[in-house]
Amino acid sequence: MLKLILTRLAALAVILLALSAIVFALEALIPADPVRAMVGASATKEAVAAKRHELGFDQPLPVQYVRFLGRALGGNLSQSLHTRRPVMTDLRAFLPATLELAGAAAIIAAVLGGFLGIVTARGKGTAPRLLMLAGASAPPFLLALALLMLFYAKWHVLPSSGRLSANLTPPGGPTGLLVVDGLLHGRFDVVSDALWHVALPAFCLALGPAVALGRTLRSSLQSVLTQDHIRTARAKGLKERTVLLRHALRSSLNAPLTMGGLQVGLLLAGVVVIESVFAWPGVGLYTVQSISSTDFPAVAGVTLILGALYVVINALVDVAQVIADPRLRAA
Amino acid sequence: MKTGSLRRVFSLVAVVALLLSACSKKSTTSAASSPPDTNGTLNLAYLADMSVPDPDVFYDIEGNTVILSAYEGLVDYKPDTVTIEPKLATSWDIAPDGLTYTFHLRSGVTFQDGTPFNAAAVKASFQRRISVNSAPAYMLAQVADMQTPDPMTFVVKLRSVVTPFMDYMASSWGPKIMSPKALTDNAGSDFAQTWAKTNADGTGPFKLTAFNRGQNYTLTRNDSYWGPKPNFATVNIRIIPDMNSQILQLKSGGLDVILHSFPIAELPTAKADPNLAIKDFSSYLQSLLYFNTSKAPFNDLALRKAVAGDIDRDTLVNQIYGTYAHPAGSPYAPGILGQSLAPIAYPTSTVKAPAGAPAITFAYTSDESGIQSRLAGLIQQKLQGQGFQVTLKEVTNPQVYGYASTPQTLAQAPDILLMTNTPDAAHPDTWARILWGTGGGLNFLGYTNPQVDTLLNQGAASTDKAASDQAYGKAGRLLVVDYGILFLADTRDVMVMRKNLTNVEHVPNYPWALRLGTLARS
Repeated sequence: MLKLILTRLAALAVILLALSAIVFALEALIPADPVRAMVGASATKEAVAAKRHELGFDQPLPVQYVRFLGRALGGNLSQSLHTRRPVMTDLRAFLPATLELAGAAAIIAAVLGGFLGIVTARGKGTAPRLLMLAGASAPPFLLALALLMLFYAKWHVLPSSGRLSANLTPPGGPTGLLVVDGLLHGRFDVVSDALWHVALPAFCLALGPAVALGRTLRSSLQSVLTQDHIRTARAKGLKERTVLLRHALRSSLNAPLTMGGLQVGLLLAGVVVIESVFAWPGVGLYTVQSISSTDFPAVAGVTLILGALYVVINALVDVAQVIADPRLRAA
Repeated sequence: MKTGSLRRVFSLVAVVALLLSACSKKSTTSAASSPPDTNGTLNLAYLADMSVPDPDVFYDIEGNTVILSAYEGLVDYKPDTVTIEPKLATSWDIAPDGLTYTFHLRSGVTFQDGTPFNAAAVKASFQRRISVNSAPAYMLAQVADMQTPDPMTFVVKLRSVVTPFMDYMASSWGPKIMSPKALTDNAGSDFAQTWAKTNADGTGPFKLTAFNRGQNYTLTRNDSYWGPKPNFATVNIRIIPDMNSQILQLKSGGLDVILHSFPIAELPTAKADPNLAIKDFSSYLQSLLYFNTSKAPFNDLALRKAVAGDIDRDTLVNQIYGTYAHPAGSPYAPGILGQSLAPIAYPTSTVKAPAGAPAITFAYTSDESGIQSRLAGLIQQKLQGQGFQVTLKEVTNPQVYGYASTPQTLAQAPDILLMTNTPDAAHPDTWARILWGTGGGLNFLGYTNPQVDTLLNQGAASTDKAASDQAYGKAGRLLVVDYGILFLADTRDVMVMRKNLTNVEHVPNYPWALRLGTLARS
């Protein structure tokens, strides 16, 4: 287990280094001038040069890259060109929203995927399967808009956008996750309002991964259900649900867990679209704004954080697999 | 056995359903208790965060409403005109040499923190703009001296004549007066720039009471405002990056206005909606087609002229904009300079791609309304029909700003660029100098013509308005016949709003903004 964690940590360092190098290479490939855009059309050449120097954009790219790495190691991700504050400050403000949304989506995906997998493995649930398949194959923004039209515009049961109603003040830390902070502060009005807001975006985000998880679980369960130990369990006269949940499910979790890890990548990519549609103030929304203003420091920061998140979650999946399937421990 | 396992699954579903119903039960009550506010709150949306609410740094269009509601300058433009009207200055005198401006200030005005407004406050704000030295500082670059002979008189002396100086004072990016107390209390080591990234303290009709990046900005009525009190108690500006989401909320009453970039294809639907009104205002926004004159094929004047004649502006503009734009009559938008001083008359001709002509790169900046991409697509088709090989490329503003950095970047830059832009103020110098003066900030494909530069300098140095206008007009005429930039359309500032909004006031020089202080709901 220790070896596994150490390998993953080493991989994390290599991946982050590669990611940041790619972002800087992109900066070299796109002949943009964000500094000129920042100081404006009427600024003198001297003013542009001074700003360029101040931000270090007058240095050769390799020098900029080394400086960036040096600062990043110290937890400083430069200053955003658009918001004009440290990228780290921006990320501290935007990341919790994304974590909350992705967390809610992951829970919904696991529950829906598990339900779908178990029901369909036994040849049932064609209708929910088809319905979810249809939903998952629709482009996420279209699904999001369709659900908004129904739940917000037509039935007025869910809000259109944001994380919290305007009349509520967030509890203010420590995690930035409104549901968790609300619980910690005993602010149940915030908890229920936050859940109300997160329901629709999280569902839209979860549907694709849920179907993928369900299908993987289904095929995995089906193959396990034909194995000898299941026949033995049935022969012992165990109830079918005991056979399914205790004997089959656990040894079927390997493939769904791998799929779950992979789906995290899709989930993080999905937040860009979903956060835009639902005006969810997270990293996805921040990324869209940063890209359109060619805010390289911000884009580099987001890339590093999301990259790290992806690697860490996949490492956790590896650990979970070992826990779920003791046979892997020997390997 | 089967029924038992099914029961287990169903009980799981029941728990999930119960949890969801707990949420939705809450939602029904909450939705019922907070219907769209009909009297106190105005709901607006931005497609993206504004940069900062600091008037000495802010230099974008998205965010105008916040700056213009929280802060005021010495003068303002009268709605729908280029006429400069009093604001924090009630009158002003300009010395015959054009170098000394004396402003007589309004008495009885206080800042939102209660500090009285006076000449010292004006001086401190002007000084801050010079010290911060960010994008809009150029407007005060020629200030030699500032005096406050008495508490209600402010005198500025310039080093050289700046003909657009009064227009700079009225510009949305012009000097705004900030509370001297707030500036001192929060000075830090950066002239209070850290504070001004999320706070504002001016004399405007609204206070900026919340600035939540990525979420919303809240403006609250300034009850001690010196002028007519605003009708709305609160203005909530939310960041909603998705236009479809904005439209959905506008139709449901969750938003009152979509300030800009409403998809042109959706306008007929909006027109048919009994709750919505489409309002279009005069603006200085011009749709421009730049040629890269530094390299083949468009270093050839005859070819540029032939393309200008072939693209058939009238049909193009009518097809894309309908009634929301008309073919530009002059390189200067109406109101900035007399149209007859620099009229446009592009020939009608057909162009054939010269034998062996290189493939053309055609760049355009995109927008949510879909106008730019449709316009670019139609022009591409037209040119391809005449034998050109044209590649379309969507680009961002910072990319565009990089094109003319060096001769090398210019050589690699696109051959044609389509953009829509607006001048900083209603004065020809604020447009011509940056758009087609050598090295100008919006002169993206490096157009240069020494004769034009000389005329622009003549215009800027003359205190005689007629002579100055003549010089700007001649510079415009030279550009028109040199086909460095094609002026496609003068476009309207189009907004879609709830029909019950009244007292809608708009200033042509303040794109994407309404006067929130006068706006009301019937």
